[in-house]
Amino acid sequence: MTVQTIKTKPTERAYQVLGERMPRKEDFRLLTGSARFMDDIEIPRALHACFVRSPHAHARIESINTENALAVPGVVAVVTGKDLAQWTTPFRMAPQIAGLLPMEMTALPIDKVRFDGDPVACVVAVDRYVAEDAAELVEVMYKVLPAVTDMFKAIEDGAALVDDALPTNLVSSQRYAHGNVSSRFAKADVIVEATFSQHRQTHVPMETRGCAAVWDEGRQFLTLYNGTQVPHPMRTSLAARLGLKETQVNVICPDIGGAFGQKIVLYREELTIAALAKTLKRPVRWREDRRENLLSALMAREDFVKTRAAVRKDGQILALQAELFSDFGAYSFFPANYMISVVAMLLPGPYKIQDYAFDVKVALTNKCPAGPFRAPMSITSWVTEGTMDAIARELGMDPVDVRRMNMLRSEDLPYETATNERYEDVTPYETLERAVQQFDYQKRREEQATGRLQGHYRGIGICSVLESTTYGSEFYRKAGIKGTGHEAAWVRVEPTGVINASCGIMNSGQGYETTIAQAIAEGLGCKPEDVAVHLGDTMLAPYGMGSRGSRGAVAGAGTSYLAARKARDKVLAIAAHLLGVASAENLNVENGNIMRLSGDTWVQTDLTLYDISQTAYLNPLLLPPGMEPGIEIHTAYDPPAMTYSNATHLCEVEVDIETGVINIGRYVIVEDAGTMLNPQIVEGQIHGGVALGIGGVLLEAVVYDENGQNLTRSFMDYLLPTAREVPNIEVVHLDTPNKTTPVGLKGMSEGGVMGAIGVVCNAVSDALSPFGIVIEEQPLSPGKIKSLLRSRGVN
Amino acid sequence: MAKVPVQLRINQEDYQVFVEPRKLLSDVIREDVGLTGTHVGCEHGECGACTILWDARPARSCLLFAVQAEGHEITTIEAVSHDGQLSPLQQAFHEEHGLQCGFCTPGIIMTFESYLKDHPNPSEAEIRDVLSGNLCRCTGYQNIVCAIKKAASMITTGLQKG
Repeated sequence: MTVQTIKTKPTERAYQVLGERMPRKEDFRLLTGSARFMDDIEIPRALHACFVRSPHAHARIESINTENALAVPGVVAVVTGKDLAQWTTPFRMAPQIAGLLPMEMTALPIDKVRFDGDPVACVVAVDRYVAEDAAELVEVMYKVLPAVTDMFKAIEDGAALVDDALPTNLVSSQRYAHGNVSSRFAKADVIVEATFSQHRQTHVPMETRGCAAVWDEGRQFLTLYNGTQVPHPMRTSLAARLGLKETQVNVICPDIGGAFGQKIVLYREELTIAALAKTLKRPVRWREDRRENLLSALMAREDFVKTRAAVRKDGQILALQAELFSDFGAYSFFPANYMISVVAMLLPGPYKIQDYAFDVKVALTNKCPAGPFRAPMSITSWVTEGTMDAIARELGMDPVDVRRMNMLRSEDLPYETATNERYEDVTPYETLERAVQQFDYQKRREEQATGRLQGHYRGIGICSVLESTTYGSEFYRKAGIKGTGHEAAWVRVEPTGVINASCGIMNSGQGYETTIAQAIAEGLGCKPEDVAVHLGDTMLAPYGMGSRGSRGAVAGAGTSYLAARKARDKVLAIAAHLLGVASAENLNVENGNIMRLSGDTWVQTDLTLYDISQTAYLNPLLLPPGMEPGIEIHTAYDPPAMTYSNATHLCEVEVDIETGVINIGRYVIVEDAGTMLNPQIVEGQIHGGVALGIGGVLLEAVVYDENGQNLTRSFMDYLLPTAREVPNIEVVHLDTPNKTTPVGLKGMSEGGVMGAIGVVCNAVSDALSPFGIVIEEQPLSPGKIKSLLRSRGVN
Repeated sequence: MAKVPVQLRINQEDYQVFVEPRKLLSDVIREDVGLTGTHVGCEHGECGACTILWDARPARSCLLFAVQAEGHEITTIEAVSHDGQLSPLQQAFHEEHGLQCGFCTPGIIMTFESYLKDHPNPSEAEIRDVLSGNLCRCTGYQNIVCAIKKAASMITTGLQKG
């Protein structure tokens, strides 16, 4: 198998440090076992917590007897929802969105449990072993209620109510139309329908959730150690729910062992730990085990989509309709329409479809609550591209030709979509053509036909991806969701000429300490090894919106770059003054040296960043008149409502029709993520995203039985992809800068997931096309493939 | 449960700890000995994050009790680099971007520090087969495989030179 990354860099380098394949700064501690993850932090006298969880999907809590648990030596406290209600306020999710019902939840449930794994009590003891022993002795009397486990049945009349405060389980319902869909449908030669059903999955960071809370009674100050993607929003929520001011709470994030969207919200468990530390006036810590993580952390992806496309005989799409339905589980940690609405918004993909209508429904069920999971809109590309394939099948066209006919081209940009999104500086057509060429598509088609004669069922999948990234404040306003998308950063050139910097995003494997250092080095003109990036402490970092929605590049590195540019301006103003030149126009900083333009060439002056910093801090009388001493910059930046990256995935699979096993062969991605901070990290994000998508399509599935019992409680049941299932991926970069962002950044890291889901499903449909099989439902286990084959009389 | 004294030999140093007989080796290494580079990802022996060397062979420390470790030589991730100098395998992971969040990394390093000693020139299929015992959620494994291949060739070249 070929393993290669083809660089398509412009011959002339636009940047000094950006685009360097710099190995990461964070690696040393991670490789030598000296990193500090949550559980590695030592806290003297800390108590350990263990949660008692509901064994029922839906039940009334009649009584909780904690006596026997409290009698265990070493147990300090056992608390329930009633206790916590005295110390915390409930969480209310009620954004002003038409068709969305408000929901509220207490720290721990008081009256009833709503899913298998719902926490009902918390035991605190001297160590985790004792806490777990005692948790088994907490007696909870339940009155079991009928459970709703199917989203379609959940909204039928007479279904048991998941949330007693609501009149229905249909928690959210919206419609939207643009253009004139019905008249365009009337003009269609054919109407092509397709359905897409995605199953429930969960994030599975290798480090499970956990936190530790330390209450300082003298200072009336709470410190929460917690691996969160969003330190500052976490602090705001925590302070509010404990009745503290934001001056009384710090959130400190240690190294995070993966997050993928699971570490954004303030969980009920975390709030409980913080409340207990404050009440007991002793440090309390909690680390969930893997079973708890698989049962009760957030889940995602259980979506159903049906499309109807009005199409002309030549393949041109006239209009598109979509029905979307999503299972949101039992509680609302996010607005219930949040994830599925983005699917609806992006569904027309990189195609010229102005006449588009959709209908989105979200149901509550007695299952673990849903939340964003790396590519919350993951199903989108499969739906769009699966619809393209359905059109190709219906019209007997090559799937590439259907795409070519309808796809946006450079002359169509900037393009205002049917859902009021603005696409600019994207290259769907270019990546498609490049991928077709790279893959040797025509030749593979011929070999596919020959292979079939010899009993090889190979299929070629194509999936174009238009990936929404960054999510600026304007997106939140338009969506009616609380929150903003700006980011803040500070850059300090210290007296010795080295740079400390921080911003509000948080690293959970993306290498921000490296890429932000590269962005700052580029902006300031220093060496990246002289920049240290400090993230994740809310008293140190400026208030920012954290890491989510592929915002690390534009919001995180982009804001840091802008701060570094301001620092550079000040450095050059000082240099000009010291050199006795009138302006800084012909001065520059390069590798920490002050350069001056002499004729056509840059020559080094006697000054370095060290000299400038020494002056700024230690000899301020030499500064230009009126200038403040020091070089400390703080800046904030609000990116565009949305930035877009794009890619085309092409892969080949072979289905063994004897066993139903799918083998993924060659896999090519042509990707355009704009200006790259560090191509090695971009490729790592692509590989990881693809692996996550492949895992979801082939292996991973959360399974609930009809009573709402979760049957996938360990890695023996919830199967993650291993090195044997994930293929090597060839990545080709096109790097078209976004004209509206700092240095042309776009952001990426979720498109890999979207593309993999679509490309593998489409390839399997293609492989099984001789049997008339179309993949409409994941996961594609061998059993599933065999049953599809049997349904077509192939045994 | 009553605590018992346990003699451990970890990274060529002797430790005496006083722990419950039911306490997992992984927990004792982390909490009582203070070597927190060994990570716990599932406590079921499925993810491989807690892999250590037990008499020079990879073992899952979450499936062992500390009391069983008496008389055995334990090696953890902390013993792999020397004086701040990464081992060839660690160096290759750094150069090839073979880690992202890094939580699973110590377990993978321990597995392959041992494997490459017995298999200096593994094929990609062999590497992937052995690597399938360690779960990684971030990297998609591709760069891990590249790093292991690179380390194997670095070690072999080094041996030839030596």
